[in-house]
Amino acid sequence: MKLTRLIVLSAALACLSFAAFAQGKPAPKDALLYFVWPQDGTTIKGGFWCRFGLRNMGVTHAGDNYQNSGHHHLLIDVNEPLDPNEPIAQDKSHLHFGAGQTEARIELPPGKHTLQLVLGDAGHYPFNPPVVSDKITVRIK
Amino acid sequence: MAEIRDFKKSDRNSVPPGSAMPRRLAAIVAGDIAGYSRLMQLDEEGTHGRVKRIERDLIEPSIAEHHGKLVKTTGDGFIAIFDSPVEAVRCSIVIQQNLVGRNASLPQHYWIEYRIGVNLGDVIIETDDVYGDGVNIASRLEGIADPGQVYISGGIYEQIKHKLVCGYESLGDRKVKNITDPVRVYRVLPDPAAFHRTRKRRESILIFFLSLALLVIAGGALWYMLSQPRGKVGDQASTPVAKPQPAPSVAPIPQQAAPQPSPTPSVGPANQKAAQPRPTSPATPATPLAPAVKEPEMKTIGGGSFTMGSNDDATEKPTHQVAIKPFAISQFPISVRDWNECAAAKACAFAATGKDDAPVTNVSWSDAKQFVAWLAGATRKAYRLPSEAEWEYAARGGTQTKYWWGDQFQSGMANCKNCNDVAAAEQPIKVGSFKPNPFGLYDMGGSVDQWVEDCWHKNYQGAPADGSAWVEGDCASHVIRSGSWRNDARYVRPSNRDSYDTNVRYPTHGFRVALSPQ
Repeated sequence: MKLTRLIVLSAALACLSFAAFAQGKPAPKDALLYFVWPQDGTTIKGGFWCRFGLRNMGVTHAGDNYQNSGHHHLLIDVNEPLDPNEPIAQDKSHLHFGAGQTEARIELPPGKHTLQLVLGDAGHYPFNPPVVSDKITVRIK
Repeated sequence: MAEIRDFKKSDRNSVPPGSAMPRRLAAIVAGDIAGYSRLMQLDEEGTHGRVKRIERDLIEPSIAEHHGKLVKTTGDGFIAIFDSPVEAVRCSIVIQQNLVGRNASLPQHYWIEYRIGVNLGDVIIETDDVYGDGVNIASRLEGIADPGQVYISGGIYEQIKHKLVCGYESLGDRKVKNITDPVRVYRVLPDPAAFHRTRKRRESILIFFLSLALLVIAGGALWYMLSQPRGKVGDQASTPVAKPQPAPSVAPIPQQAAPQPSPTPSVGPANQKAAQPRPTSPATPATPLAPAVKEPEMKTIGGGSFTMGSNDDATEKPTHQVAIKPFAISQFPISVRDWNECAAAKACAFAATGKDDAPVTNVSWSDAKQFVAWLAGATRKAYRLPSEAEWEYAARGGTQTKYWWGDQFQSGMANCKNCNDVAAAEQPIKVGSFKPNPFGLYDMGGSVDQWVEDCWHKNYQGAPADGSAWVEGDCASHVIRSGSWRNDARYVRPSNRDSYDTNVRYPTHGFRVALSPQ
């Protein structure tokens, strides 16, 4: 009994110290980030409207420090893992939607591309645990 | 066919454009705030301010973005018309989803929730109002909608059902006030999966109660088992588990400003360091006018003509000839020291943290505009942001190569990711740490992204050729140049361009200033 108590306590403490190191703000466990459109495996001709879905959290302007809300980032053909201690990168493959957009017109060269959504907090950091969508693959004709 | 053609022709003849009653088919969006009078009673000024802000920041830009026209706003609502039913519904969804975010931090009785109705109808349009059955039906639909929902009429549904990927729940034919025929009503569910959910809701409620009952039983049993040996075990385990919630919300505080720590160690080859003149510091004590603002070090750039753009990226095409008039541009990106003079004068929105000679970061385009407006006012000189063409001309330093030093990348020439030995943790390092380009300008490529005056255009089709800023079009985002220490060597190219939302701050974004000769 004593041993289990110790284990539980140390596990809890380990969680606590980890949480203190992580940068991101806490996200509700049932938060769900997903693509309304396109769906995985879709073949698209030309440009398309990419629509972002979010459940159990809200979309807000970057810089607004409201609880349980963030803004969208669209990662195109990104293979590097997400670093929870750095702001989400800003370049041609990490598109930011800090004005609270929930959809975007996307134009990609023909071929296969992966898309993934990541929700960022007021300072563009991923949440903890990260709120990310499934990585989907689309083919552009 | 002939009949239809004849009919069309005669129709056109009988109603000439500009006649007394300009009628047209339009998608009408009517929205109003649920429980507005209750909110006003709660906090009159606060509610009014928030509603105005929502109209300004969300409703007006969303309507414009979707090519609609805001016809009028009433105290608690608005009416807009769209040419396209798809755009009308899309705009409504964007407004509703954004409002969820705005309400998230507030207690529920302070929520501002809109009900939105969309109808397709033939209406009479006057400058600041619309009339007709179509408008009345839209506002009736809005009246029966639940807060936070979008209700559309059958006419709209028929137009958009295969075009807009949403769920639509039919609510059947509804009789609405003062309209003879019943109206078919659909509820828009922002995603198709939600449709499935509503169908299953009844089942899931049942399952929910069942599992709740099971949980209560299980919880009771667990509590009984745990409390049996010694009451304290449960307490000890549960307190630390509960703590992680507040802890991370404290953690983000140091993150808001850019990283800045500890002195720069002797970096890279020593001769390169020796070559740095570092003119900023000697200039400071030399300024004779004590109260005057310390101006950034400016370099005069002679006018000329150059080929702007490249074939390396779709955004940089087509290459085109641009003539540049003489101007001056700051030798370095604006530093934390420069910025904080503006902040001290209360003319800039925030005080920057970090070392004085590091470039200022986390500024939006609007922040940068505030700075140049203050600088221009304080010095009575025409300080401004450079145009995109001026920036590229200055960055090229008279060259037409891929980088200003040639076509091949060389390490140690610019502050970019994996470009040199500077440790990432010390970023952004002080301005002017790398070689200047042939025009004597530092950090034109790498270091910090730099805002320019121009609105974003996805390529140079239709760009001005006289070196002026391109400000027509979509100004919700503006152009950033240079790439930052977090971007790789591709972004250092003088022709590289990217965009970012005008009013959003990001930790690698800074700027430099320009000055027209007087």
